[in-house]
Amino acid sequence: MTETSHGRVLDLNMHLLDRQVVDRDGRFVCKVDDVELERGADGAMYVAKILIGPRALGPRFRGRLGVWVRAIAERLSTDPIPTIDFAVVEDIGSAVKLSASLDDLRVAPLEDWVRDHIVSRVPGSRHASE
Amino acid sequence: MRASDLIGRDVVRADGTAVGVVTDLRCVQDGPVRGAHASLRIDALLVSRHHVGSLLGYDRRKRQGPWLIRVIVRYLHRHMQVVPWADVVSEGPPVRLRG
Amino acid sequence: MKLLQVALGILTAIGGFVDIGDLVTNALVGARFGMSLAWATLVGMVGICLYAEMSGRVAAVTRRGTFDLVRERLGPRAGLANLIASYLVTALTFAAEIGGVALALELATSVNYLLWVPLVAFFAWLLIWRVNFSILENGAGLLGLALLAFGFALWRLHPDFGHLAHQIIAPHKPGSERLTTYWYYAIALFGAAMTPYEVFFFSSGGVEEGWSRKDLMVARLNVYVGFPLGATISLFIAACATLVLKPRGIEVDTLSQVALPVAFAAGKVALAFLILGFVAATFGAALETGLSCGYAAAQYFGWQWGKFVRPRQASRFHLAVLLTLIAATGLVLTTIDPVKITEYSVVFSAIALPLTYFPILVISNDPDYMGEQKNGRALNFLATVFLVIIVVASVAAIPLMIWTRAGQ
Repeated sequence: MTETSHGRVLDLNMHLLDRQVVDRDGRFVCKVDDVELERGADGAMYVAKILIGPRALGPRFRGRLGVWVRAIAERLSTDPIPTIDFAVVEDIGSAVKLSASLDDLRVAPLEDWVRDHIVSRVPGSRHASE
Repeated sequence: MRASDLIGRDVVRADGTAVGVVTDLRCVQDGPVRGAHASLRIDALLVSRHHVGSLLGYDRRKRQGPWLIRVIVRYLHRHMQVVPWADVVSEGPPVRLRG
Repeated sequence: MKLLQVALGILTAIGGFVDIGDLVTNALVGARFGMSLAWATLVGMVGICLYAEMSGRVAAVTRRGTFDLVRERLGPRAGLANLIASYLVTALTFAAEIGGVALALELATSVNYLLWVPLVAFFAWLLIWRVNFSILENGAGLLGLALLAFGFALWRLHPDFGHLAHQIIAPHKPGSERLTTYWYYAIALFGAAMTPYEVFFFSSGGVEEGWSRKDLMVARLNVYVGFPLGATISLFIAACATLVLKPRGIEVDTLSQVALPVAFAAGKVALAFLILGFVAATFGAALETGLSCGYAAAQYFGWQWGKFVRPRQASRFHLAVLLTLIAATGLVLTTIDPVKITEYSVVFSAIALPLTYFPILVISNDPDYMGEQKNGRALNFLATVFLVIIVVASVAAIPLMIWTRAGQ
C-alpha cells in the first residue's frame, strides 16, 4: 500500500475500519472502532475522527448485542467517547500510523485502570522479560 | 454521522425501488488539508445485494486467489455497483439516489 | 550463527509439535485401531505445515497478529464470534495441558495430580510474566525432544516395519470397531495435529520476535522440517501403542498407559526420560495456549500485547492471560479427568479450525498486504483442497460425536 498521498483512493470499510492504530514509535494504540464523518463547507462528506472503545464498537453490532454493549459501556463511563482527530494520522498502511506518541493520547481508559490498579501492584511489572 | 451509520444502510432509487445495501464508502484523498495531509472525501458508495464476504477483496480486485473462494464471493457480489456520491440525494435512512 | 538459529528452531518445532492432545490421541488410537488411522496424522501434518507457513509469512510481512487481521477481514461481528469460539477452544486446551503437566508429575512422583495443579498454574503464570519468550520456546522445545524415547522403545520392540508401513499405506479398519467411530477418531487425530493455537502462537511469536521478510527462509525451514519430524514422534506413539497395548486389549484412559510401552520395552531410564519429555512438552504447550488466549483477545480489541514489551505496557493482555489461567485451572480442579478434557479439546479444535484457516488463506493472497510474497497457484490449489477437508471435518465432527457418544 502506498504512503499517504494526494489523490489516493481508499475504501473505508476495507482499508480503514477495524485496522490497528499505532503511534509514531510503533506502539499499539487501539483499533479503528468507527469513524466520524462531517459535512464540509462545500457540502461534501469528509472523514473527521477515529472513534474508539466499546461505545464506538457497540453500535456496529446489529441487534441485541449492540444495545447491550452500548448500555454497559455507558454505565461504566460518562466521559465523551475517546477520539483521535484524523489530522494526527500520518499514514494508512497495514496499520494506521499516527504522528503522535501514545503518551500524549488518552484513548484507553481500561488499559490505564488495569495498569494502575492491578498490574502495577504485581512485582516485576516494570521490567522487560529476562 | 458515523461511517457505520451509512455502511449497511439500505439504498433505494427515487421511485423507491431497492438497489441494495451500502457495503463500503470509497474515499479520495483530495479534501482540505487536515494536519499534514489532504483529508479523505467520500467519493462513491459501493452497493451490493448483501454483506457477506464484502471485506475479503474479491469483489473489487480482479485476480485475487484462491480460485474457489474468488468464484464464490464474486458470484455473491455479482450485482455490486459503484454509485457516485453526486447521485445521492439524501443519506436517509434509507439512502436515496437520484433518477 | 544463522545455522544454529535454524537448528534450534527445528528442534523446538519437533519438541513443540507434540502436546497432551497428540500424546493421548495417538496412543488411544494406536491401542484400538493399530496404524489404520496413521494417515489422518499424516494428512494433519501436511495441513499444519501449509497453515503455519501461510500464517508465518503473513506475520513476517504484515507484522500483525492473526486476530487483528481476522477482525479486519470478517468484520467486527463475525470476527467476535470467531474470537469467542477460538478463545474457548484454546482455553479448553489450556486446561487440558495444565492437567497433563500435573498427570505427568503424578507419574514421576506418585503424588496425586490435583495437588500439583495449583503449583503448575503458578509456575505457568510466573514464566509468562517474567521469562524471555525465546528462552521459553527453546527450553520447552528442546526438553520435549526427550519424547524421542518413544522412538527408542519402538526400536527395542523389533517390529516388522514392513507390516507397520503396510497398515499406514493401506489402512484397514479393525473389524471390532464401527465405521463411524473410525471416522470420529480420524477427525480427532486431525484436530490433534492441526491445533489452531499452534498457529496463532507461531504467528504471534513471529511478530514478538520481529520477523521480517529476511526471516521467511528460517521460518519455512522450521515449519517444513520441524513439524514433519514432530509428526514422526506422533507416529512412534501410535506404533508403540499398536505393538504393546493393542495385542493385550489395553485401552488408553490414563497417561500411565501412554507411557506403558516405553516402560515395557525400554526400561526405567527411558521411562524417566519420557516423563521429562511429557512434563516439558505439556508445560510448553500450557504456556503457548495461555499466551494464545491473551493474544487472541488483545489482537481483536487492539490492545498492546506480547512479551516484547514490559508487563505495565500490556496490562489488559496480561490480565486476560491471568483470568484465563484461573478459569482453566478451576476447570481442572473440578476433578474432571484431564484425559477426558484432552479428548474433547482435540475434537473441538477440529471444529474451530476453519474459523482461522479461512481468513489466513484469504490474507496470504491479498496483493496489497503481501505484494510479491502472496500465495502461488500451486500452493493455493493445495491450500484450497485443505480448506475443503477442514470444513468437512468441522461439520462432521459434532454429528459423529453424538452418534458415537464421543468415541465409545
